[in-house]
This record gives sequence, C-alpha cells and structure tokens, in this order.
Amino acid sequence: MKKKLNLAPVFFVGPHLILFAVFIFLPTLYGIYASFTKWNLMSDPVWVGLDNYRTILFDTESTFHTQFNNGLRNTLVFVALSVPLLIVIPLMVAVALEHKKVKMKTLIQSILYIPGLISISAAALIWSLMFNKQLGITGNVFGSDTAWAAHQPYAWIIIIVLTVWGGVGGNMIIYRASISGVGQDLYEAAEMDGAGSIRKFFSITLPSIRFPLIFTFVMTTAGAFNVFGQPLMMTDGGPQQSTHVLMMYIRQLAFGNGESIAGMASAMAVLLGLVILVISALQYYVMNRNAT
Amino acid sequence: MKKKWGLTALILVFMVSGVLAGCGDKGKNTVTFWTPLTGDDGAYMDQLVKDYNATNPDIKVKHVITADMYTKISTVMNSGKGVPDLSIIHADRVPGFVKQDMLEPITNVTAAQPEIKEENYLPQAWSTGNIGGTQYTVPLDIHANVMYYNKDLLKKYNAESFLDDNVVTVDEMLSLKGKLDEGDYVVNDALLGWVILAQIQNLGGDIQENGKPAVNTPVFKKAFESVKQINDAGLMTPFGEDGYLMFQSQHVLFSTDGTWSSTAHAGVEGLNFGITNVYSTNADKFTNRSSSHLFSMLKNKDRTDEKEAAIGSFLEFIRQNSIEWAKAGQIVASKKVNESPEYKNYIQSFFTSSEEEIKSLFIYTYEYYPYIAEAVDTYCGDIVRGNVDIDETLQTMQKFVEDKIAESSGGAK
Repeated sequence: MKKKLNLAPVFFVGPHLILFAVFIFLPTLYGIYASFTKWNLMSDPVWVGLDNYRTILFDTESTFHTQFNNGLRNTLVFVALSVPLLIVIPLMVAVALEHKKVKMKTLIQSILYIPGLISISAAALIWSLMFNKQLGITGNVFGSDTAWAAHQPYAWIIIIVLTVWGGVGGNMIIYRASISGVGQDLYEAAEMDGAGSIRKFFSITLPSIRFPLIFTFVMTTAGAFNVFGQPLMMTDGGPQQSTHVLMMYIRQLAFGNGESIAGMASAMAVLLGLVILVISALQYYVMNRNAT
Repeated sequence: MKKKWGLTALILVFMVSGVLAGCGDKGKNTVTFWTPLTGDDGAYMDQLVKDYNATNPDIKVKHVITADMYTKISTVMNSGKGVPDLSIIHADRVPGFVKQDMLEPITNVTAAQPEIKEENYLPQAWSTGNIGGTQYTVPLDIHANVMYYNKDLLKKYNAESFLDDNVVTVDEMLSLKGKLDEGDYVVNDALLGWVILAQIQNLGGDIQENGKPAVNTPVFKKAFESVKQINDAGLMTPFGEDGYLMFQSQHVLFSTDGTWSSTAHAGVEGLNFGITNVYSTNADKFTNRSSSHLFSMLKNKDRTDEKEAAIGSFLEFIRQNSIEWAKAGQIVASKKVNESPEYKNYIQSFFTSSEEEIKSLFIYTYEYYPYIAEAVDTYCGDIVRGNVDIDETLQTMQKFVEDKIAESSGGAK
C-alpha cells in the first residue's frame, strides 16, 4: 500500500525555517565572510584574510586589540556577576512558589515576570532615575550620597540590579513548570524516610530538573555575553571604560559615528561567538557529566 | 481535500501579494523623505510636510522618520533599492558621503528655484554642503551647543555681571569657588565633548593639521585643562549625575546644552532661564560648537526629473515657511525666517542677533571629524574629572583616531 505523504509538518515548520534562514543563518554566514574583509558597508568588501583577527588578537599597539580585550574582560565580569544570580534567584523563587502555604502564586509570578516584558531602554531610564543622587529614591529616601554610575563597584551594581530585576521572571517560569512535573510520590517517600526540605531539594528537585537547569544555564550565559542595553543606557561604558562591553564596541565599529569599520566589527563578533560557543559546550559537558 | 488545499494556497498568494505591495514604492507621485528626527522635532517636521502637502503639489512629500538612519542608508545604498528621494543628514557626514560618491549635487534640483542660494541662508550652514565648488546640500538649520543660565541663581550669587559682555569666562566661573550653597554648582557637564571642541577654537587651535588628525596637541591639552579647572574647584556637577536634570531642578547656574533643549526647559515650572554663549577660556573669543541638518539627495537612479522639481518646490517652501522649525528650538538657516519679527520670539534668535553671534556658530567640516568627536566623547569625562593621565590619554586618543581612519578608508571604492 502506498504511504500517503504528510505535508502538515512542512507547513508548521516551514515558515520558521525560512525566517531562520533569511534573518539568522544567511546573515551569520555573511558576517563570517565579512570578518575576513576590509569593509565599510558602502563599498564592496576587500578580502584581507586573517588580518582583522591578527590585529585584534596580537597587535598590542592597535586600538582594536585594546578595545577587544577591554570589552571581553568587562563582558566576562558581567557574565560572572549576573549568571549565578539569574540561576539561583529564579530557582529559589520557583521552589518557594511551589510551597503549599504560598498564596496568590499567579499574581506573584506575574509581578516577577512583567519586568522582562519592558523594553531595556525604558527600564534602564527608570532605574537610572531611581539611582540618581539628586532626583532618585536612593538619594532622597535612603539618603545615599553615592554617584552610582560614576564609580566602581557601584556602576556594576546598578547594571546587575537592572539585569536581575528584568531577567528573574523568565527562568522562574521554566523552573516552576519543571518542578511541578516532579512526581509527588518521590517527595512523600523521602518524607517517610525523614528527609527535610533541604535534603529533598538537593536529592529530588535538583536532579529532576537537570535538563531545564542545563538549558537555562547555557542560554542565560549566552544571553549575558550579548549584554548591550544596560551598560549603554546606565553608564555609557564608564567609569573609565570599565563597563564598556564587547557588544558596545562591535556596534560602535559597525554603525558608529564615523565611517563604518564593519569588517573589523564582524571579526570581533565572530570571536565573541566562538567564546560563547566554547563556554556553552563546556557548561553542557560539565553539567551533563556531573549529572549522569 | 484538494479543493481545501487550493483555497489555502490562493489565500496565501493574496496575503503575500498584499504584503509585498505594501512594501513597494507606492508611486511616482511621492517624494520619499527620510529624517533621523526621532525626538519631538520629528513632529514639527511632520507638520511642515503636512503644510506643504496642503498646498496641493503634483507630487506630495512622504516624511519617514528613520531611527538609526545612517545604518539604513548604508543598507539601501549597498543594495541600491529603497533609496529615499530626499533625506536630512548632518553636516559632518557630507565630506565622507561625497568622498564615497553617495551624494547627488543639489544644483539640478534648485535650478528652477532662484531663491535657494547662499545669500539666503546662514553662511556656515550653506558652506558645509559645498565640497570642491559643488553644492550638495540645502540647510534646514544650525543646531548649536549653547549655555542656559538660571536667572534666579545668578541673582542669588550676585553673578549677573558675568553676562554683561555675553561671554562667561572660565575665570568668572572660578570666582564663585567657595561661595555656593551645598548641592549647588556653577555648571553641568551636559554635551561636555562639544564644550571641549569649542575651547579648541577659542584657543586658536584646530582638530587637524595639513589634513591629518591632530588630537595629541598642546591646544587640546590646554582645552581639557581649562575645563578641568572648573571641576577641580568643585564647581562642576558630580560625575555620574544627570547635570541636565540638575539644571532643571535649579541646582546649577549654567547648563551647556543644545538649543533644542529650550522647549523642555520652558516646560519646567518655575525655571527662570535665559540663553547665552558657551563659556570661554578668554573674553575675546567665544565659540558655540554647532552642527547642521541638511537636505540632501543620496544617489538614486530611479529619481525622476519630476521628482527633482518637486524636491525643489518643497525646499523653497521650507525656506519660506520654516518658522515651524523654530518651535523645535533650532536656529533656522533660512534668512527669510531668522530675520523675521516672528522669529525674535524664540530664545535661540539670540544667536542670529548680530554678525558676531552668527560667526560664533562653528561647524567642523574636517573629513574625519566623526572619529575625533568619538574620541573626545569617549575620554573627555575621565580627563576632566582627573580619572586618567591627560598626556597618556591624548596619546591614546590620537592612536584611536589614526587606527580608525586607517581601517575605514581601506575598502574598495
């Protein structure tokens, strides 16, 4: 009997694949090509081989080398500060919300999730005003005399506060969905064996949500490497370039004030992509190995 | 079943056609006009376009406010598709765009409009569009860095005499050291980069020497040091604070902001303010670092002669009727407008009130100005606040500009 061809999946997946190819895959390929060229967006790219990479990685006298190093270092600081908070806090909130005694779970969940829907520009403006010494609540209500954006570590603190405020909700939803799927019989059995809350969390909850944890860890880290809006809006890369992250340099080079240096910007972007790829693979490997 | 698939396919075709039709150029009877006016000024330009279209021209103008316009210009120029018929660009873009053969001379467009000529516009706004004797742009305005002052605070601190000669000097500002209440400051750091670039002119310097960028120079150092004195004396708003808002909340005597902020300041209840020149290192010379919005035509093979004529009509309408643009706080470039009695009602008319004031509106036209401005903006805050060594940072800035020039000018033409 001849098997009937089922076209339905094609119609479901097709549009996404087309959009992915047009807006993600092909531009990525072109970006990689551009990284081997000298290109100002206006004229045709000129092939320069590995020159851009050589300059960025090894020419210590070059501005681009300095910018890349500074940008990568600042980005790594942001990743190191924000990712643990964006994993641990949502996890703790999700676990707390699963507790029987907690009321109005949907409301709390909504309140925590809503900041993630606000555009980063609007959120950064609001938080900048809150941290303004003259006009904000930190100065007027709490009497703080700190110029938050002008000195470290305060500049990082306000960026991280904004990031965590906006990012907690997304991961929390994933954890809640995963935790609610863990069999109650496991908890009941553990209770009969005398396990307390902490033991149950480490022995049942965490292993049961291993894959969502790996997923959020990898995705949150990759997202953190792409940080851009928060430092741009809140500190403009200062003080003394200490919050000037790599994406800010890349954008400045590609579409900055002067003529575009898109070839160099593409090379920096490719290197950033490689860093993200390596770290994500490592994270996946380590977490998955430890869990099995 | 077949019928159902056929119907679905038909609907899809119609939908896609509809979307594509919407994306296409709607007609030969529209001049597509791109501007980067994403702020309040976009609404004033909208009104100007609406007023022009109400005159029932054969070809109407369609104003498209384009965020990140220069990025989009790169894209459309590269692909050759969707290039606007008319656009507003900033003065500092002209040399680069001409070098890359991206601009059409404006002379064909204005051929039938005899009043669109140098004599009828502010001279420096007109001349920024002239490269090698060819006119590429028609100016809309000059937008300058200016200095607002708080009348009540000047009175309180007995500093009204600073304004006598229309030049507030650094020394006059320094004379207020130790005399201000806690939380009050003489000046803020709004548009600090432009203030530095103004001081370079005041000190008789420039940003280039023989066509090469000149950042690591004694004049640059002196310009930074003169402004740094104010900060060192504790008279500048603290680093990291919003000096613009501090002026509006009446804790700052002087604010070195743009003309365009006058409308926002006017909306602050109880803020009794005036406008003057940006402070200077000496009383003999004052400069208000400026730029200009310029009408220009990017190269576009699809632009017809009829459209070019329509653009000419529109630009002549703007020359005669751009008083609306004064509402946006800008110094209107058309002399017919800026010399009219109605224009005198606007605070920025101070800057066209005399030849000396007009001369003070300085626009840098060096080809690589954007890179120098980027370097100044990046480092000026830290230099003035004493966070970095000035000599070392000037070296870094010089290298920054040279590296970018070397890298950007290597693409094939």
